[in-house]
Amino acid sequence: MAKARALDRRRRSIRNTRKITRTMELVATAQFKRAMDRAVAASSYTQRIVSLVNDLAHAGASVTHPLLEEHAETKNAALLVLTANRGMCGGYNTNMIRMSMARWKELQKEFGEGAVLEISGKRGFSAFRFRGIEPHQTYTQFEDKPAYEEVDELATRYIEGYYAGKIDRLEIIYTRFVSMSKQVPVHEILLPMTRLISDEDVTDFVSKPSSEGGKKTEADLKKEAVIRAAQSRLSLSGKANIREGGEIPFDFYPSAQSVMEEIVPSAFRIKLFKCFLDAGVNEQIARMVAMKAATENADQIISMLNMAYNRARQGQITNEILEVIGGANALG
Amino acid sequence: MKCIVVTPDKTVLDVEASFVALPLVDGEIGIGPKHTPIIGRLGYGELRIKSGSDTKAYYVESGFVEVLNDVVTLLTDSAIEASDIDLDSSQQVLTEALAKPAHNEALTTLKEQSVAAARAQRRIAQKRALQ
Repeated sequence: MAKARALDRRRRSIRNTRKITRTMELVATAQFKRAMDRAVAASSYTQRIVSLVNDLAHAGASVTHPLLEEHAETKNAALLVLTANRGMCGGYNTNMIRMSMARWKELQKEFGEGAVLEISGKRGFSAFRFRGIEPHQTYTQFEDKPAYEEVDELATRYIEGYYAGKIDRLEIIYTRFVSMSKQVPVHEILLPMTRLISDEDVTDFVSKPSSEGGKKTEADLKKEAVIRAAQSRLSLSGKANIREGGEIPFDFYPSAQSVMEEIVPSAFRIKLFKCFLDAGVNEQIARMVAMKAATENADQIISMLNMAYNRARQGQITNEILEVIGGANALG
Repeated sequence: MKCIVVTPDKTVLDVEASFVALPLVDGEIGIGPKHTPIIGRLGYGELRIKSGSDTKAYYVESGFVEVLNDVVTLLTDSAIEASDIDLDSSQQVLTEALAKPAHNEALTTLKEQSVAAARAQRRIAQKRALQ
């Protein structure tokens, strides 16, 4: 009986694990929906800013702004890394950590004491601490639902730092949302701003994943299926409406130039905010996919154990019958 | 006429209005129906939206306004309903803003902005307190 019982115990423990991963998948799906809604809501603002910039460009406004200008000497560089506070999301954190670790080494070589490391997310800074690197700033408050106010505070600090010459360059490492089935870790320079803001900065959160060219691996397809299932369950809200417009004779208050100058810091803030939103959405997607895979794996193991258990049980019964028959024969 | 207020977080307001008064960077502007297309820079101050006999007041903090096709769109960092602003806390925000450093030109601008924002908030709070 010993073997069958041990198998049964294992099967039960895996069933429990499956329950947990399944629940986590559902939770991640719900949070993904929330994160997505925020991202979609925010992209409406970004879109309007972009259309405003286009209108202004039509009116012939050019921009000069301290945030667009490179400092004569680059001595201080800040690196901001966006990771998650929690694990269980596949390769999401690992990707961020691997990428930022490499970049941080480069920055240290280049700037020495002038390099500043800032990490958002427990997973990120504990990984750095484990390797004996103490980040200068850590944030845990952003989670997967960053509020604009909180990000704005950070943005204001960066802008002030840039003006004051405390930061000459701001780099960010985060996971960029390309489409539902594709998220890539990226490294970008936020300050000085190399370009203002354009359609590129508006993420199309609701486009179909199949619109991308190129071959897809099996994993990709699987991921898409998971996401599509989640989407159909939640029925995502529609895309923000884009204004169709030719050339409109706007009146500018006070002038096109002045409005343009004001847009620069706003563009920086919204870009930073978008990084956080992307990171939040991607964390949940990663978790959803990882947990889905874990649940499926548990299913597989359970069915394997089922078979092993039944065999063991049958074997045992056969043995017992043989023993009874053997006993009966010996008596007779 | 429609009035839409958008912050980076969400669309705060999307209502029909008969008249909108909003703070531009150099003074208040009133916009009625069928206004000519404008793009303007918002200042810090009170946004009043009149629809029928009902008037709603908000505090808006910098950003932009676009009037086009009878739609007034405000893009602002934050829009707070006037009734949510507390006189004491707005006073505190002002004190904090006044204590900010102003070592160079850019920092001075930043300080001026936060002081202006705090003053505008306090003004709205005072106005409400008087009513």
